[in-house]
Amino acid sequence: MKKNLLTICLFLFALCAFGQAKYELGKVTIEELKEKKHPKDTAAVAAILFKNGKTYFDVDSERNWILVTEVETRIKIYKKDGYSLANQQVGYYTGGKQVRLFFDDAVTYNLVGDKIEKTKLKSDGEFTEKVTEDYSYKKIALPNVKEGSIIEYKYTLKTPYFALMNDWYFQYPIPANHVQYKTTIPEYFFYNVFMKGYLPVNSTAPIKSRNNQLGFDEVITSYSIDDVKAIKQEPYVNNMDNYTSMIQMELASTYYPQRGSESYATDWETVAKKIYEYKDFGDELKATSYFEKDLDAVLKDIPSREDRVNAIFDYVKSRMNWNERFGYYCNVGVKKAYAEKVGNVAEINLMLVAMLRYAEIKANPVLVSTRSNGIALFPNRGAYNYVVAAIELENKEVLLLDATTKNALPDILPVRALNWTGRMIRRDKTSVEIGLMPKMKSKEVINVIASIDTDGKVTGKVREQYFDYNAYSFREHYLTMPKDKYLEQMEKRYNGIEVEDYSTANDKDLSKPMMESYSFAHSNVVEHIGNKAYFSPMLHYTQTENPFKDETREFPIDFVYPSQDKYSFAITIPEGYEIESLPTPLAIAMEENIGSFKYNISQAGRQIQVSAAIEINYANIPADFYVTLRDFYKKMLEKQNEKVVLKKV
Amino acid sequence: MKKLLLPLVILLLFAEVTIAQDIEYTVANIPAELKENANAVVRLDQKDIVIASRKSMVITTKSIVTVLNENGLQHMDLSEYFSARNRIKSIEVQIYNSFGKEIKKIKRKDFKENSVSEGSIITDNKLLYCDYTPTEYPFTVVFQSEIETSNTAFIPSWYPIHGFSVSVEKAIMNVQAPADLGFKYKEFNMLNNPAISKQEKAGGVSFTATNLVAYKQEDYSPSFNSYAPNVIMGLDAFNYEGLDGKATNWKEFGGWVYSNLLKGTDEIPQETQAKIKALVGDEKDPLKKARIIYKYVQDKTRYVSIQLGIGGWKPMMAKDVDRLGYGDCKALTNYTRALLEVVNVPSYYTVIYGNPQKRDFNQDFVSMEGNHAILAVPVDNKMYWLECTSQKMPFGFQGDFTDNRFALVIKPEGGEIIKTQEYQPQDNTQISKGKYVIDEQGNIAGSILIKSKGTQYDSKFDYEDKSSDNLTKIYKSYFNNINNLKLKKINLQNNKEEVEFSEDITIEASEYAKPTGGRMIFAINAYNQISGVPQRYRQRNNPFEIIRGFYDYDEIIIDLPKGVTIEAKPENVELKGAFGEYKTELAVINENQLLYKRTYKTNPGYYDKKEYENFRKFREQIAKNDNAKIVLVKNQ
Repeated sequence: MKKNLLTICLFLFALCAFGQAKYELGKVTIEELKEKKHPKDTAAVAAILFKNGKTYFDVDSERNWILVTEVETRIKIYKKDGYSLANQQVGYYTGGKQVRLFFDDAVTYNLVGDKIEKTKLKSDGEFTEKVTEDYSYKKIALPNVKEGSIIEYKYTLKTPYFALMNDWYFQYPIPANHVQYKTTIPEYFFYNVFMKGYLPVNSTAPIKSRNNQLGFDEVITSYSIDDVKAIKQEPYVNNMDNYTSMIQMELASTYYPQRGSESYATDWETVAKKIYEYKDFGDELKATSYFEKDLDAVLKDIPSREDRVNAIFDYVKSRMNWNERFGYYCNVGVKKAYAEKVGNVAEINLMLVAMLRYAEIKANPVLVSTRSNGIALFPNRGAYNYVVAAIELENKEVLLLDATTKNALPDILPVRALNWTGRMIRRDKTSVEIGLMPKMKSKEVINVIASIDTDGKVTGKVREQYFDYNAYSFREHYLTMPKDKYLEQMEKRYNGIEVEDYSTANDKDLSKPMMESYSFAHSNVVEHIGNKAYFSPMLHYTQTENPFKDETREFPIDFVYPSQDKYSFAITIPEGYEIESLPTPLAIAMEENIGSFKYNISQAGRQIQVSAAIEINYANIPADFYVTLRDFYKKMLEKQNEKVVLKKV
Repeated sequence: MKKLLLPLVILLLFAEVTIAQDIEYTVANIPAELKENANAVVRLDQKDIVIASRKSMVITTKSIVTVLNENGLQHMDLSEYFSARNRIKSIEVQIYNSFGKEIKKIKRKDFKENSVSEGSIITDNKLLYCDYTPTEYPFTVVFQSEIETSNTAFIPSWYPIHGFSVSVEKAIMNVQAPADLGFKYKEFNMLNNPAISKQEKAGGVSFTATNLVAYKQEDYSPSFNSYAPNVIMGLDAFNYEGLDGKATNWKEFGGWVYSNLLKGTDEIPQETQAKIKALVGDEKDPLKKARIIYKYVQDKTRYVSIQLGIGGWKPMMAKDVDRLGYGDCKALTNYTRALLEVVNVPSYYTVIYGNPQKRDFNQDFVSMEGNHAILAVPVDNKMYWLECTSQKMPFGFQGDFTDNRFALVIKPEGGEIIKTQEYQPQDNTQISKGKYVIDEQGNIAGSILIKSKGTQYDSKFDYEDKSSDNLTKIYKSYFNNINNLKLKKINLQNNKEEVEFSEDITIEASEYAKPTGGRMIFAINAYNQISGVPQRYRQRNNPFEIIRGFYDYDEIIIDLPKGVTIEAKPENVELKGAFGEYKTELAVINENQLLYKRTYKTNPGYYDKKEYENFRKFREQIAKNDNAKIVLVKNQ
């Protein structure tokens, strides 16, 4: 499935021409200014006419390497809604070192009569915002922008941080006619280059050339693409960045004639090994003295391995409080975090690993890239931003643990960590890939017993049971909410319902399913028309709106986890009525075992019995199956909305 | 200096004594009624404001908050803003566990700095804040700070209760100013409140509130300041960003703003003067001239927020806006004013609260208020209000951001409080006329022409620039009662002259009235169903407000398939009450054609909480009738 999602293309395409005059700043044409709408996307508010980036190395006066990136952009503004493109900002990390970012050649062009009018940006349109000690923005607001204007600007970033280059995007929220990028790398450095997204980016074979000024050879590679569509947001998408076309580069190794070769990151194994060797990672795993006494007390009289795992996990979850910071390396260190009972992800989960190992359980850290961070696509240290714990079981399976959330359980990770695969690093610094996506179906079981009175009011009792991820989500989202507020939300969701006697069970007992029960009265379900009464027998659980409205779909559909929802209803009909007709049963399934819907209905005396089951068998479904999924929902909703017809006798 | 020292010392002593007596940090001491509906309890919130001179104000804060659960975290504010004229003299935090034992102390050096641009391209303001991750609940946080500022134009308002789901054990506000600066205050919603006491003294006042229970957040609640107790405060003689000011009434205040902040900012370069004079030509009608200028501004400029220095109130120079082609609300309003001046049309810079939730300037209390600027153009005894930050709004159209509220109009001779345009329900119309056909399979196909005005225009005129993808999304959600919807045609027209927006739409959908058991059942009102019913509250606490009214009229012709008989159809309905009127009529034109007419009007109003359930019932009936079904049976 993964290959379907991410097209990885490496240097596949042939050489193409670069550096045409068309893509130089200052050469705006009257035709470009006259253009009223984008020829291929007439609704576009603006378009990138070209974006031209290059990255190369320089040496400062103290003979340190400086990574220089220059970006030149020309943007056409078609509509007023595109004015925001005339305000540009670039953020940069300073982190205590000298990093410079500056704008040049920022100009607005307008057509006045048949002449090109040029307005330059002056210093009063340029701003610097120091957001924190380590992070700043340079911003510009271009002058004199109107519908039809063309704006141009260039910015240059000079930084001593050259291990991880900034990602270069080929795709933007507006169409881009031409995007190119050129890297010039000294012979001493080897970068891994990875592309992601669906677009066929052209690239040239690397060319060697002499830098006479600095006296070394360089390798030049160019990438380009024309006519890039705007990237558009779709519902049920994990992280749009996973599907946006871009290039990512990371320093793999260096080679200096005197020192020989030094490797930074060449494959996942090496990356993992390097991370393990970090003081703030590996060393933090070794320390045990800070918790030994406490943990001995916890583990006293617990002989079984499984119970020891649970005891340790519960101990860390209850003692530690996550400060909502990500990262796979420790910030204040496990010792201090333990003492203060507050830590980042690494502090909490590395501490967990250390405790499990102390209890002689085969536990290891697993590096993860969160959903918001995107998919870790190629071997590089920056690809990860999170770490969880894994226990290796005898049957070769692993059990995943994350103690940053109180409601987590073994193999129930917080949703933020559910992002394809992670990498588990063992004590010997070897590592393997671990699947993170849940495979088991999280169940939800709903039982309703109801009766309808002669006025059409439905009263009844509901019992809902939530399992696994459903239980986790419920505890995370609803248990933290004041009860009235939750009930108000529920009454909003099921328009017309009045909920009483609401109670929950197993709020804190995570080993059991989360339970919810309530009584209800609903006056909006049954419709009296003439001497008949009509209602959908799934009552307020009837879904009425198809979540998939779009005709087509570009990106995979993310359900987060596989699920199974089971409903059963027993509905007693009112006195003085008899059943005239019932909906017919239905069983439908999607191709490739994607999911199914089963609906059964029968009559037993004055009672109508309905059972329904909805199954979605994968956490993530490729876009190819979108139409299947949409039609499945359509058929399912139609069935759910079919009415029982009652007749007055 | 000596004179000043004394009240300060007394105040501090007073503070110490209060704390020692009344507040212990243990959670067990919190009265039960204060925990109801509360996620946090303010044990003490004391602000001592000492104004030493027109240019110096020191605000000392001590707040003790017990956070009961995660949702209460928002009620601990562990930060202070600072800028060149706003200095943080001290700031610190202590955390106590539920037994009152200190568990953490956070000193100034552990606070972090952040710039607060919040959508602005640039700002001077910075925030010093403390990041605390709780290790247990409940816990108590003690926050203390001392701020010194020269901006005496803004004395913080006093809200003993800051917001929802927080209760207050004790809140104290002490203000002391030299008598000659003219300290003044005004109380709201505090009458006959036994929980709040006041002590007046020369050049100052003290308020104390004890045991205030929490407010609940509820839908349709009016703006918080309209029902929660609060006090606004100010000085007749103040300083703002280095400028001295004095005003006892709005006329004086407006005069001060005019001569200190507006005067001299309106120079327009010769070239532009010539250009706009040429554009206006021989036109004599001031309204037509104003329209020409407004269009010129809309075509030339864009809104960019710049919050620097005196930028909080002083607009950027008109000639800079002319050169750059952008500015914030003040800059663009002032620029339009300057251009109108060139063509001899008088207009007035106006300060207002911009927000769909209305807020008025106080007619009888002068202070620096407002968050937005618009332009008032008087023509023939009528005021036209121009929103200068929008490149799209029709001339003189306000929409819901600045309508129907008191604003400060700044004339050269002084300020004046004037109410902006009010939209009556009959101004906010949506008239829909159309038809639809149901075929034998229950598919629907139809078209509708919707014309909108007033605030209903306001919520739609932006559609004309949306991409077809986005429009499809908008209409699929507008007609969300029709599943499987396909939009065959979307034709939009924005008539800016008449301020009317037309939507000409053709739709179809399969199985809208899918036959089951030999019957077809479907909602007659396919195009304009209002299904939302206001939230039910077991116990309504707050008053409620319908801020604006509207008027909808629908007229739809329905073609039924051949060979069916109407088994049942919705009755005609008429509802009338304080909240509005609703009427439907379904007429049978012939055996295959029906005519459906629907009128729905809502009235604006501010109501007591007792009326809420009636309002809900009214809306429930509408939702029910909007979804009323017709039943067709196939002829045998």
